[in-house]
Amino acid sequence: MKKIIFTLLAILFSTLAFSHGPTPQKVQESVTIAASPEKTWEALKNYSEFEKIMKVRSFKDKLMKAKYELIKTDVPFSDYNAQIRVKKGKNDNESVVQWTARFYRTYKLNPPIPEGQDDATAVAAVKEIVGPGLVGFKKSVESQ
Amino acid sequence: MVKQKKLSIFSLKTSIFFILTFFLIILYFYFSSYFEVNNVSKAYITNQGDNTVSIIDLETLKTLKTLKVGVAPLGITILQKKKLVFVGNVGTDDISVIDAVNDTLIKTIKLGTAPLSLASNPEEAEIYVTDWFQNNVLTISADEMKVTHRLKVGVTPSGIAYNKKYKYQVITNRDANTLEIYNEDCNLVKKIETGNHPFGVFSEGDFAYVANVYDDSVSIINLVDWSKYEFMVGAHPYNVKVHNKTAYVTNTIDDTITIYDLGTKKIIKILDTGETPENLDFNIKQNLLVVTNWGSDSISIFDTESFRHIKEIKTGSQSRSFGDFILQ
Repeated sequence: MKKIIFTLLAILFSTLAFSHGPTPQKVQESVTIAASPEKTWEALKNYSEFEKIMKVRSFKDKLMKAKYELIKTDVPFSDYNAQIRVKKGKNDNESVVQWTARFYRTYKLNPPIPEGQDDATAVAAVKEIVGPGLVGFKKSVESQ
Repeated sequence: MVKQKKLSIFSLKTSIFFILTFFLIILYFYFSSYFEVNNVSKAYITNQGDNTVSIIDLETLKTLKTLKVGVAPLGITILQKKKLVFVGNVGTDDISVIDAVNDTLIKTIKLGTAPLSLASNPEEAEIYVTDWFQNNVLTISADEMKVTHRLKVGVTPSGIAYNKKYKYQVITNRDANTLEIYNEDCNLVKKIETGNHPFGVFSEGDFAYVANVYDDSVSIINLVDWSKYEFMVGAHPYNVKVHNKTAYVTNTIDDTITIYDLGTKKIIKILDTGETPENLDFNIKQNLLVVTNWGSDSISIFDTESFRHIKEIKTGSQSRSFGDFILQ
């Protein structure tokens, strides 16, 4: 139910805000992990699940920042680039992992926009990757 | 005799007093205008994600105001002398005009098409707007506050710059990998090939500078003999601007700025910014470089002399400001 309401809100928001123009879309979600930032960062670098969907562009150790691009092509969004950052949590044994994705819808010409190629579809599809992705990564780190 | 001498001393003192007072009054007026709010340099940041413009005082580095504009604001330009800020809203197909003295919205100009980027011609008090979908460049008269001309251009017009020296409108055609140059009579002077996916453009003197997003490079095009050369920057450059014979380029994927010396043709510095830096502009008086960070919803401020990072300031959601966004 929650998910349906959320999707409806996302669709409503997207049609209101971005009915025209080649506007980049943004999905940004965070998860708190019960492990130090250093441990979480090391785990991220060795985590193979993300690399099934994305290719690593770079790992910046100093900033604890990873950059990715997409491998998958059969997706309802385009020009996808993402970064995952590890930040300090409330204490030494807590970290916050933030995933920011930037992408466009697949249809970039004049409206009307065909069904399934609009901003709302693209946002919903990326959310399907980011949300469960972060949950899976949290489980993996906390079970180590 | 004695009386007369005393009198003359008195009058000398009086005249010195009056002269000093006169100078103090002059000084007061001179400096009071300097301290007026109207003369404060400000940055206007379009926040595409929440339909606002953040107005930041570049002396105190504090946010003065967050102004509601149209839907999905992106492009921006400023008529410095008239103190007017023009913001293009791609969601509502219009331009919000902000009076930069009081920072209030004074007018909404309907376009009927999505404005992607804006540039200004200060001599004619005109604004040029690229229309991505219908392949036009619209002219807006700042005196009439309406569209006065539509120029048909090549496909996917994206970035636009106005070259004061030649009175040229310089436009990137993103999906055609070309740069188009139009003169003041709206005639095409030249169509020249760029790198792959040209987006942001800057033009000054005899040159145009283009950011080639998919080539990770910048093309420099000579507007006299049409020769060109390229230099490499970071990943996915979005915009380029020149300040003191130095080119500054935003690398959206690297979260950096490449600083390139146009004289020695060498990269002199790479600076870390916030996430997904898109656009940049300069405060001339205090030598500040301001960068908009789409990813971290903020701006990064640097000193252009020492390249020192001064401050990161939170703005609204998805800060972009594609164009000139600093009131000097």
